[in-house]
Amino acid sequence: MPRINLRGVDKSYGSNSANAVANLNLEIGDGEFMCLLGPSGCGKTTTLRMIAGLEHLSDGEIQVGSRIVDSVGQGIFIPPEKRQMGLVFQSYALWPHLTIERNTDFGLRLRNMPKAEREQRVSDVMKTLGIEQYRDRYPSQLSGGQQQRVALARMLAVNPEVLLLDEPLSNLDAALRLEMRAELKRLHNEFKTTIVFVTHDQWEAMTLATTIAVMSEGHLQQVGTPNDIYDRPANRFVAQFVGNPPINIVELAGKSTLSRMASDYFTARYPNLSNVGSMGIRPESLRIAGPDAPVPQGAFTGNAEVTGILPTGGSWIVELTLPGEKLFMATHQSPEMSLGDRIEFFVKAKALHVFDRQGNRLAEADRALSASEVH
Amino acid sequence: MRRREAHHHAVSRPDARVAPSRWQRLRYKLRIAMREPTTLIGVLAALLFAYLIVVPIISMLLDAIRVQLGDGRRIKAETGELTWYYLERTFTSRVARSLFWEPLANTLSVAFGAIVLSVIVGGILAWLLARTDMFGRKWFATALIVPYMLPAWTFALAWTTLFKNRTVGGQVGWFEALGFSPPDWLSYGRLPVTLILALHYAPFIILLFGNALRRFDSQLEDSARILGAGRVTVTRKIILPLMLPSLLSAIVLIFAKCLGEFGVPYVLGLPVNFDVLATSLYRNISSRQTGVAAVLAGCIMLIGIITIVIDAKLIKEARRFVTIGSKGSMDRLQPLGAMRIPAMAFAAGIFLVSVGLPLLTLFLSTVMKVPARFTLDNFTLDYWIGTDLNTVALQTGILLSPDLWNAAWNSLRIVGLASVTSGLLGLLVGYVVARTPVRPLATFLRQVTFLPYLVPGIAFAAAYLSLFAVPRGPIPALYGTTLILMLALIADQMPYASRAGISAMMQLGKEPEEAAQVAGAGWFRRMRSIVVPIQKGSLVTGILLPFISGIKGLSLFVVLAVPSTDVLTTYSLRLVDYHYTQAANAVVLIIAAIAYFGTLLGQKLTRTNLAQGLGG
Repeated sequence: MPRINLRGVDKSYGSNSANAVANLNLEIGDGEFMCLLGPSGCGKTTTLRMIAGLEHLSDGEIQVGSRIVDSVGQGIFIPPEKRQMGLVFQSYALWPHLTIERNTDFGLRLRNMPKAEREQRVSDVMKTLGIEQYRDRYPSQLSGGQQQRVALARMLAVNPEVLLLDEPLSNLDAALRLEMRAELKRLHNEFKTTIVFVTHDQWEAMTLATTIAVMSEGHLQQVGTPNDIYDRPANRFVAQFVGNPPINIVELAGKSTLSRMASDYFTARYPNLSNVGSMGIRPESLRIAGPDAPVPQGAFTGNAEVTGILPTGGSWIVELTLPGEKLFMATHQSPEMSLGDRIEFFVKAKALHVFDRQGNRLAEADRALSASEVH
Repeated sequence: MRRREAHHHAVSRPDARVAPSRWQRLRYKLRIAMREPTTLIGVLAALLFAYLIVVPIISMLLDAIRVQLGDGRRIKAETGELTWYYLERTFTSRVARSLFWEPLANTLSVAFGAIVLSVIVGGILAWLLARTDMFGRKWFATALIVPYMLPAWTFALAWTTLFKNRTVGGQVGWFEALGFSPPDWLSYGRLPVTLILALHYAPFIILLFGNALRRFDSQLEDSARILGAGRVTVTRKIILPLMLPSLLSAIVLIFAKCLGEFGVPYVLGLPVNFDVLATSLYRNISSRQTGVAAVLAGCIMLIGIITIVIDAKLIKEARRFVTIGSKGSMDRLQPLGAMRIPAMAFAAGIFLVSVGLPLLTLFLSTVMKVPARFTLDNFTLDYWIGTDLNTVALQTGILLSPDLWNAAWNSLRIVGLASVTSGLLGLLVGYVVARTPVRPLATFLRQVTFLPYLVPGIAFAAAYLSLFAVPRGPIPALYGTTLILMLALIADQMPYASRAGISAMMQLGKEPEEAAQVAGAGWFRRMRSIVVPIQKGSLVTGILLPFISGIKGLSLFVVLAVPSTDVLTTYSLRLVDYHYTQAANAVVLIIAAIAYFGTLLGQKLTRTNLAQGLGG
C-alpha cells in the first residue's frame, strides 16, 4: 500500500539561490492519480525526481508505504534503483542501442525473472499498449507516439507500485495526446497503480487526475480534486492558472469603473466582510441580461459595451469593455449582438470568487455569498 | 499567490519542523556521495592525471633552475641547488647563439614562411573548392587533404631522395646522380623545410578557411551587391573581414604545429647544421644537457601556450561573427569561364607536388639500385624482399627483417594500447565531468586533461624524461621501457580523448541512464549495459584518431625510445641515420599507408569529417 508522504521537503541548488521546492508537505494516496500542475520552473519536476530518488533533498523526508526512502534528519537515502518505481521521462529516454523488446524487458532481466515468464510478461504489456509488432525495431525507427508507448511499457513491465510520469505527452501532437490521455486513464484503472503525473497543461490535469496539486515557485498552492481546484481555487494564483479563457480579476482598490462597482457591491451587500481585496469572475459565469435572462437577486451587475466577438468553434468569447477595464465572457450560445452594442451583464453571487488582500480565498465570503442566494 | 500554503485536507502540516543538525546534513550528503563511485573515480582520475601530466612538467621546469647531476663541478654548486646557470647558458652565454637564438630565429622564419606559402596556396585552393565551378571539385576536396594524413617527414625523405648532394655520405639524390649537383641551400635547410611544412599544413587552410567560405551566408553578399558594391568591393569589405577569424585561427594552428615539428628539420637540417628549437632540444637531450634541454622545452612550451591563448581569443572573436539563421550557404558558384582549365591545372599541380611526386619518388627509390637510372636491370625488389644482400647490417629486404616486424609490433602494441587506454579514460573523464556533483573536480579534470595540448610533443617528451629517467620513490627508472612510451602517449592524447568523451557524455544527457537506474540497474550495470554501448561510436573515434596520430608521430618517441623499444617512426629515422635510404623510405611508405588507410577507415566508421580531428 504505497502511500507517498513528503514531509517538509526542501530542495535548493546552491546556498544562494531560491529554493526550487520549499517546505513541501504532500500526501499521495494509494491508487491515486495525482497531477502536479504548475508553470515551468515551479518545482514540479524536481518534486517528481525527488520521489524517484534522482534528486537529493536539502531537507525533509519522503516515505513510501511504511518505508522511509529519503530523510536528511535520519541520514537515509534509498537509491533510485532500489525504490521499485517507474518513471517515464519527457524525452522518453529510450535506450537507442536496444530493440523495443530489449528496452521493455530490461527491468525484468535485472530482476532475474525466468525466461518464459519474462517473455510472457513482455508480450502482455506490449499487447496492452499495442506495440507488439515493433518488438524487433529500434527506438529511432518509431514515431513519437509509439516511442511514448514503449517508454510506458518499459516501466509497466516491472509492475511498479508507483508510476511517475514527467510531462510524457508534451511532445505529442494534439490528436495523439488525446488518445494517449484516454490510454493513461484506462491503464490507471486496469493496473491500479499509484500514478504521479507532472504537467503544465491544465486540461491534461483536469481530464486525468483524481487529485491535483498546484505548485508555484516551489510552493504548494492547493491540493484537491479537479472540480475543487476549478470551482474553489484556494488563491488568486490557482484561480488564474486554471481556466481558459482565464478568470477575470477585479481589484477592489483599483481606480477603474469596475473596481468602484465591485467595491460598492461588497460595501452595500456584505458590510460585515472585511479584508476583501479582489474578486474573480470565470468567463462562463458572466451572463447577458435580457428578456429570457432576468438578473437574479443579489447578483453583481453592470453595463458594458461589446467590443469583440471571437468565435472559437462551438463557443464564443465576447469582449466587454467598461471604462478602463475589459471583461471576457465565454458562452456556448451564439451571441445575438453586434460590436458596439451596450448590454447589461450579471454574475450570480454564488459564482463570484472573493480573495482577501493577500490573494487567498476568503472563506467567510463563500459562506456569506451562498447564504444570500435567495430567489 | 503569495508564498503560503493553502489549507486543505491532503496537506499534512507538521506543527514544528525539527531542522536537522549540521552533522545530520553532512551524514546525509556523505551517504549520497559514497553511494555512487562517480566521484571516487573522478578523484582517482584527477590524481592519475596530476601525476602523468602536471608532475612531469613541473619536474622539467625545476630541472631548468637546479644543478643537474654531473654539472656540479662546472657550476661549482651541489647537485640539486638552485642556479641561474642553465638560463644564462641558454640565453646569454657564448653558446646561446647556437643553442637558442639561432634555432629560435630559424623556427620563426620557417614557421612564418610556411604560413605565408600555405595561406597563398591553401587560400586559393579553398576558394576554388568552395566557391567556383572548377572541374573535379569533389575529388580534389578529398585529394588535397591527403598530405595532412601522411607524416610530414615522408616529404622530407622524398626531398632528400631527389635533391641529396655529396655534402653528406650515403646514396646521393637523383639530381646528383644525373650529374646536376644541387647546391646545399636547395638540398638542405631552410628552403626545403619551409616548402615541405607549407605543403603539409596547407590542408588546414583548405579545411578551416574553406569551411568558413562554404558556410558564408550568400545573402550578406547579395545585400552588398544590391546596394551597388562591385565584386571586388564585396570581397574586400564583406567576405574577407568575416573570413579573417577562421583564417587567423588556421594560421595560429599551423604555427603551433611548426613549433613542435621535429622530423622534417631533423632530416633536412642536420647536414648543414640548420637547427630549429625542436632539434636543438633534441641535441641537448642526446648530449645529456638536461638543464639546458629543460630551459629549451620550457621556451617551446611557453610559445605554445601563448599561441593557444591567442587562438582562444580569436575563436571567441570569430563567434561574434557567426551569422545566425543563415539559410543561404554558398550554393551559387563563381563561374571561372576560360580559367576553368588553368584552375584545375593548378589544383592538379599542387596535388602532384604534395602527394603524387613524393610518394612516387619514395616508392621508386625503394625498387632501384642506383638512383635515377631508369633501365630495367636497375630495378629490383631486393630492398623489400631480398635475401643475402651485400650490406653491413640490413642483409635482407625490409619486409624480411625481424627489426621491421619488431618495430611494427611495438608501434601497434604501444600506440594501440595507449590509444585504447586514453579513449576509455577520455570517456570516463567525460562521464565524471558530466555527472559528478562536485563541480571543482569536473573543472580540474577538464583543465588538466587539456594541458598537454599546450605542450608540443617534444617538450612533453623532455618532461617525461626529466621525471622518469631516474628512480623516484617507489617508481623505478622507466627510461628504456615501453611503459614510459605508453604513459607519455596516453598523456599526450588525453586532450583529444577527453574532449571527445566530454562532448559525447554531454550530448547523451542524463536521462537514458536515469531510466535504467529507476528500472533497477546499479552503477556498474548501467555502465556496462547503457553508457558504454551507447557511446560505442564516439569511443571508436576517441581511440582511432589518437591511434593514427600516434602511429605517424615522431617527436614523442624520438626522445623516449631506445633501440629495443623502436617503433616504426624511430626505426625509419635510425635507418636514415645509417644511410639505408631504400629501407628508410620503405618503412616511411608503410607508415604513410597505415596512417592513410586508418584515417579513411576512421571516417567511414564514424562518418565524421577529418576537420573535426584536426590537430590530432
